[in-house]
Amino acid sequence: MPDQARSIAPQSVRRIGRSLLLTVPMALFTLLLFTPALREPERPAKLAALITWAFMMMLFFQMMRTRQTYRWRRIFFVALGFLFPVGFIWDLIALRGSMSIPVERMLSGDTPFCFMVIPMTLIPAALTRTIIFPGSILPTPSNPHSIAIMAALWILATVILGKAWCSYGCFFGGLDEGFSSIPKKARLRKINPKWRLAPWAILVAIVLLAAATYEPIYCKWLCPFKAVTEFSEVRSTQTAIQFGIFNALFLGLVVVLPYLTKRRTQCAFFCPFGAFQSIFNWTSVFDIRINKEKCATGCVLCQNHCPTMAIDPSSIAGGKMLSTCMRCGACVDVCRKNAAVWHIKGTTVGIATERARLLYLYAAWVFASMFGGAIIANSLQKLIGLIV
Amino acid sequence: MNRWKAILGYTAAGLTIAVAVVGPLVWFGIFTRAASKSSLQIDPVYTGGAPARTIARDGYQIVVYKPVPKRAPLTQTGAFVQVVWKPASALPATVAETLDLDGDGRPDCVISFQAPREPRANLRVTAEPLSGLVQPMHEVGKDSLSSLIARVNDTIVVRVPLR
Amino acid sequence: MGSLTEALVLGLGSGPVCLAACGPALLPWLGAEPRELRATSRLLGLFLGGRLAGYLGFAVVAWAAGMALPLDLRLRTLIFGLANLGLAGLLGVSACLPHRTCPMVASAREPRLYQIGAAKRYRPPAAVTLGFFTGLNLCPPFVAAGVRAAATHSLPGALIFFTAFFVGTAVWFIPALAVSPLRRFRSVPTIARMAMAVLAIYYAYLGVVGAASWQLVPRQSAQLVILISGMVTHA
Repeated sequence: MPDQARSIAPQSVRRIGRSLLLTVPMALFTLLLFTPALREPERPAKLAALITWAFMMMLFFQMMRTRQTYRWRRIFFVALGFLFPVGFIWDLIALRGSMSIPVERMLSGDTPFCFMVIPMTLIPAALTRTIIFPGSILPTPSNPHSIAIMAALWILATVILGKAWCSYGCFFGGLDEGFSSIPKKARLRKINPKWRLAPWAILVAIVLLAAATYEPIYCKWLCPFKAVTEFSEVRSTQTAIQFGIFNALFLGLVVVLPYLTKRRTQCAFFCPFGAFQSIFNWTSVFDIRINKEKCATGCVLCQNHCPTMAIDPSSIAGGKMLSTCMRCGACVDVCRKNAAVWHIKGTTVGIATERARLLYLYAAWVFASMFGGAIIANSLQKLIGLIV
Repeated sequence: MNRWKAILGYTAAGLTIAVAVVGPLVWFGIFTRAASKSSLQIDPVYTGGAPARTIARDGYQIVVYKPVPKRAPLTQTGAFVQVVWKPASALPATVAETLDLDGDGRPDCVISFQAPREPRANLRVTAEPLSGLVQPMHEVGKDSLSSLIARVNDTIVVRVPLR
Repeated sequence: MGSLTEALVLGLGSGPVCLAACGPALLPWLGAEPRELRATSRLLGLFLGGRLAGYLGFAVVAWAAGMALPLDLRLRTLIFGLANLGLAGLLGVSACLPHRTCPMVASAREPRLYQIGAAKRYRPPAAVTLGFFTGLNLCPPFVAAGVRAAATHSLPGALIFFTAFFVGTAVWFIPALAVSPLRRFRSVPTIARMAMAVLAIYYAYLGVVGAASWQLVPRQSAQLVILISGMVTHA
């Protein structure tokens, strides 16, 4: 565009043009992903696919236009977190009339596999070549969420995202992120940073106990999200206690504490899978760094806004996030000095940061559309089916 | 050196996008095929173990599985033997079988239960030990993974706890 | 000699299961202490000694009671339950030890895990006690070894067989020393203590469930008490 024309065209128009241009490849690719659903003869499936596609593309466009990541990603993630249980519970009620897993499902290998089980299966699998989960290794008509499929998905996500799985993939994390977004200010501000180590302790405990019991201990006793998915039939004192624990943990860690602290307390201070995923944070080529030259001492806006307390004075001084960073982008968006920046490993910190963000978002949003988008569409289909 | 590192970094970033785009098309198939060829299996506490022998009856079969030992030191699920009657729709109203569970030629227990036609009916099983191998069961439903009776598809699955 | 070799081989084959059984109690405990490798090795040795004492003590009681397989299933469950309660108590105390108010996030400042409690009069070594309680949790290989040992028809022979079996399993505990270098990460002791607190709750639950079986076997429990009292009196 000639200089004169460029100076005449308002910046907003140029920005919208640029944003549209950047969104088009994503839109075309995700349209391809949703084409099978768009071709469904049933109207709810078609509508759900179309709405989801438009929703994902609108968010991506806004990420391009505003050059902000966190708040748009959060909208997607919260939608995923709240809609996943809708579709999941719907399917359970339709199939067996209850959220509880009857023992018959366990015996027939029809229990859908959850990625949370992965750390617990490793030692027993290494010792005895068996998977301590009542599912099926390969997908079956009655259980498409087989161990192989979910493990493959996890490996793919880890290669692409590292611990950004907790910001773009985990279909549970959106719940506590949603509740943490409700209040304007935190009521509980002082949190002992040593609580960040609790997920590691729980990970150690459940991995060791799984090896000693050959049972998925976390699923049996500690998973808060049993409250919104499925759980063992309550047929004994033990299962009644387990049921109570799930609901108490869900209420406390996923609803109340996020509301009071404006942090993702379940993810930051409890989830052992998050700790496990931190081990693989190095696999992703994208990260967030702090440009120490630009960082104003004592600002700590990034530290205060990080939903998982993955920034502390030592990490700021070192120019890096802690290994628990979920790459949600909150720190980058809130930093007034443009000191917290997106970064590609091997490149110079602070150079071409928007390019790094774009490349990261292309990878992350493709994954999010494929995985989270499919879940959102499935749940929306159920809801639209009630109306249409 | 810095330039080469940056080139590598951008290349890796591009490859990540390529993996995100193309990966799902090829990766799931590759991984599933590898999983099917691996020797990994579901823990026998859930599957009941491997079949040991089949006993033919009038219109149905009884499959006795190999004993599943206590899997781990701290597990709450004890040792058991799984016995499956199939098809459940061909069973008489009352089933009472004397069975040799460990294949030594001597009967170990008598298993008895009612087999109603209604698939959702509650089932209860009684096992009377005839040897020191088996623990008694009296009107047991779905007590635990090592002591239960359940209708799974068109089969009746009984698990008898062992000493 | 042949049976000793057999015992050793049986132990070597069973070691991973034994390590898995003891791992929840042992590994976080080793990780919670600011010690160098030599001191950690000594503690591991004390732990294994306590574990052996647990095994042998149980074997002696079972032998004296004249049973090849140690005791009735429900009574075994009772004994395991009590052992688990002991483990839970020990892990809980160890997790909370350095501070009076027992916060969840205590980090090791003093090597108090070597002893239990601050009482000057008597401080039982924690390593031996931990090992003893884990030794009372009979794992399937131990039971199999017990059956084999009982076939030797003499108590000293059975004990020697058991000890050889134990040595075979103990080899697999050497990798537990790999926890020691992890101690250079400052957060490891805190994580280890938090893990111990979580594990203590689980062991306490197992203990309560197991100990509740006391109500189911009053006659056999009374017989056991009489037996042990008689042995102590005559010793």
